[in-house]
Amino acid sequence: MRRLPVYLLIDTSGSMSGEPIEAVKAGLQAMVSALRSDPYALETAFLSIITFSDKATQTVPLTELVQFQIPDLRASGMTALGGALSVLADCVERDVRKTTAETKGDWKPVCFLLTDGQATDDLNRGIEALRRVKVGTLVACAAGPAAKPDELRKITEAVVSLDTADSNTLKAFFQWVSASVSVSSQKLDLTKKEVGGLSELPPPPPEINVAL
Amino acid sequence: MTSIVTLKASDGSQIRFVDERKASGGLKDVFFSPDRDYVVAFYRDKMDVVGRERLALITGTYRERIFNQEGGDYLKKLFVWPTATVEYDNRTGVVVPFFDKDFFFRYGSRDDDRLLGIRNREKEGKWFASAKNRAKFLDPRELGDGMTQLKTCLMIARAVRRLHTAGLAHSDLSYKNVLLDPSSGRACLIDLDGLVVPGKFPPDVAGTPDFFAPEVVATAKLDRHDPQRFLPSRLTDQHALAVLIYMNLLFRHPLKGDKVHDMNDTQRDEDLAMGERALFIEHPADPSNRVRLAGVSPAELPWKDTAKLPYTITGPYLSSLIQDAFIDGLHRPDSRPTADQWESALVKTMDLLQPCQNPNCLQKWFVFDNSTKPRCPHCGTPFRGKLPILNLYSSYREGNFRPDNHRLMVYSGQSVFSWHANRLVFPNERLSSAQAKRVGYFVQHGGEWYFVNETLPGLRDVRNNLAVPPGGKVKLEDGAQLLFSEENGGRLCAVQMAGQ
Repeated sequence: MRRLPVYLLIDTSGSMSGEPIEAVKAGLQAMVSALRSDPYALETAFLSIITFSDKATQTVPLTELVQFQIPDLRASGMTALGGALSVLADCVERDVRKTTAETKGDWKPVCFLLTDGQATDDLNRGIEALRRVKVGTLVACAAGPAAKPDELRKITEAVVSLDTADSNTLKAFFQWVSASVSVSSQKLDLTKKEVGGLSELPPPPPEINVAL
Repeated sequence: MTSIVTLKASDGSQIRFVDERKASGGLKDVFFSPDRDYVVAFYRDKMDVVGRERLALITGTYRERIFNQEGGDYLKKLFVWPTATVEYDNRTGVVVPFFDKDFFFRYGSRDDDRLLGIRNREKEGKWFASAKNRAKFLDPRELGDGMTQLKTCLMIARAVRRLHTAGLAHSDLSYKNVLLDPSSGRACLIDLDGLVVPGKFPPDVAGTPDFFAPEVVATAKLDRHDPQRFLPSRLTDQHALAVLIYMNLLFRHPLKGDKVHDMNDTQRDEDLAMGERALFIEHPADPSNRVRLAGVSPAELPWKDTAKLPYTITGPYLSSLIQDAFIDGLHRPDSRPTADQWESALVKTMDLLQPCQNPNCLQKWFVFDNSTKPRCPHCGTPFRGKLPILNLYSSYREGNFRPDNHRLMVYSGQSVFSWHANRLVFPNERLSSAQAKRVGYFVQHGGEWYFVNETLPGLRDVRNNLAVPPGGKVKLEDGAQLLFSEENGGRLCAVQMAGQ
């Protein structure tokens, strides 16, 4: 069966510390629990988390929903947004099953990027890396006043802005992510073995006549 | 603090709802009445004149036509039908009864629902139609057995048949719009405010993936007014109904095999596989879309193994319709079986069920395979003992009886009803309560099977030329012939013996 890979790229730079990072964790928890109660998502969705601060790492590998554990996220350091895109490209290249002549591959991955700042590394390198792999929807979310939607538009046309990076807006963001994953996963032998002569019941009589 | 809004509905009744959105669908926002006996669903988009007219007819004339007739009370269990419309804050809403409690999870997921936390949530059909969700996630008490699953499908077919005979098409039969309760064998159609009336009200949704008819997918890119474009209709309902029945009996999708149509674009591959190149995974002559077991997870077995559990385990009546739906009629909408045919075949297949003798068999029931040595296809347990089979015959000319292609299996607790005894009686919503009572039953005694007559006044053991009055019993032997009734339509049965 085709899997739907979902990658969440989450900013864990210093500016996210405190309420924002706690809100992200709470949002993730709510999102996972919403997805677990969705029979489509349970059947097809696999989740991975890539975090980025001084550098980007795949914190949680692509994992079936029911086994997914929320990682303990800590916020500090810079914003390696370019690095995050490169890591995403590597993960997609490595994890997403390709279609071959014999087997159906996975759906194109759905990716969500959440940041409250701007890249402190080479963003263009990341964008270049990402161009080389096949990604389905990529939604970038600029959370809070310091985020730069214009910069994110270089990565994807789908950019949403949240005015603040507090728990309520982030909660709404993750609700929306789970709703979109749910929709994405929706988008989507008369060889009756002849029973050997004797073991089969003979046909019942074709007609019966009764003297009434 | 949420407030309660009070409105006057189109039918003059007073409608109240709590002003807090409880759910959102594709087109509507849903609010609950204070006592949770109905919901009010408001359309997000402004409704035009035609839309309002349609809602007025659905909540008015069409509803009355279905529920104010013979069998209307029975049908109330099969539909959650909108009862009235309301206007509030420049938005149009429909008033819809609350779903019956059977359609909310009682147990939910495994491990006392700690696995997923879905207790009390709606039983969306997708939960039950997926082998993986069944095997890994749902509490086994939610799954039902071979008999209740068949009954669930019968309820779906009956509901769709009733819509179609009223000249209506549902247009979006899918997991979300058909609530199921396999544990009790119930099903119920919801979201009926989008009903299509041919020539009068066109569809406003295209349908749902997995249930689209191939011609709808293949022409989806054309303009909706293009004469080549196929839109939802009674014929696409018939495809969706066939998919629903196949999936709820075999827990796999009939068209989702492993044939690759486009290596570079998964969406195009999917569109071809469900559209112009759709091919039954069990096509007898073209095996190219078979499910490859190498790519199947253990949780999806044995259901995804079409060699182990071919569609023919559903018995002769359903197998024949499955062939019509997915082999002959897949790309020829006119050849698709009607809901009426599905209903009849499901009723007859209920009579072919045999309890599995393995107390641990998950399915508990299997459809008799016409062999002298039947075995349960699910757990492999062979049947032991004598197995009488009653072949039903009807008379169209005095004294001459011809086969009805209808059999009744015998087991402890099995009953004979008036629709077995008389071909003019059919078990559906029009059945009277007197007709719904059993007329006799089967009992095993000293290794022999007997039919016990309870209320048939004219039962006769034909070969021995004996009357068997109510209270009497007759032994079932190979070749025995029982005449249930001498009245018009009265049936005769001929006994065959399998097993031993």
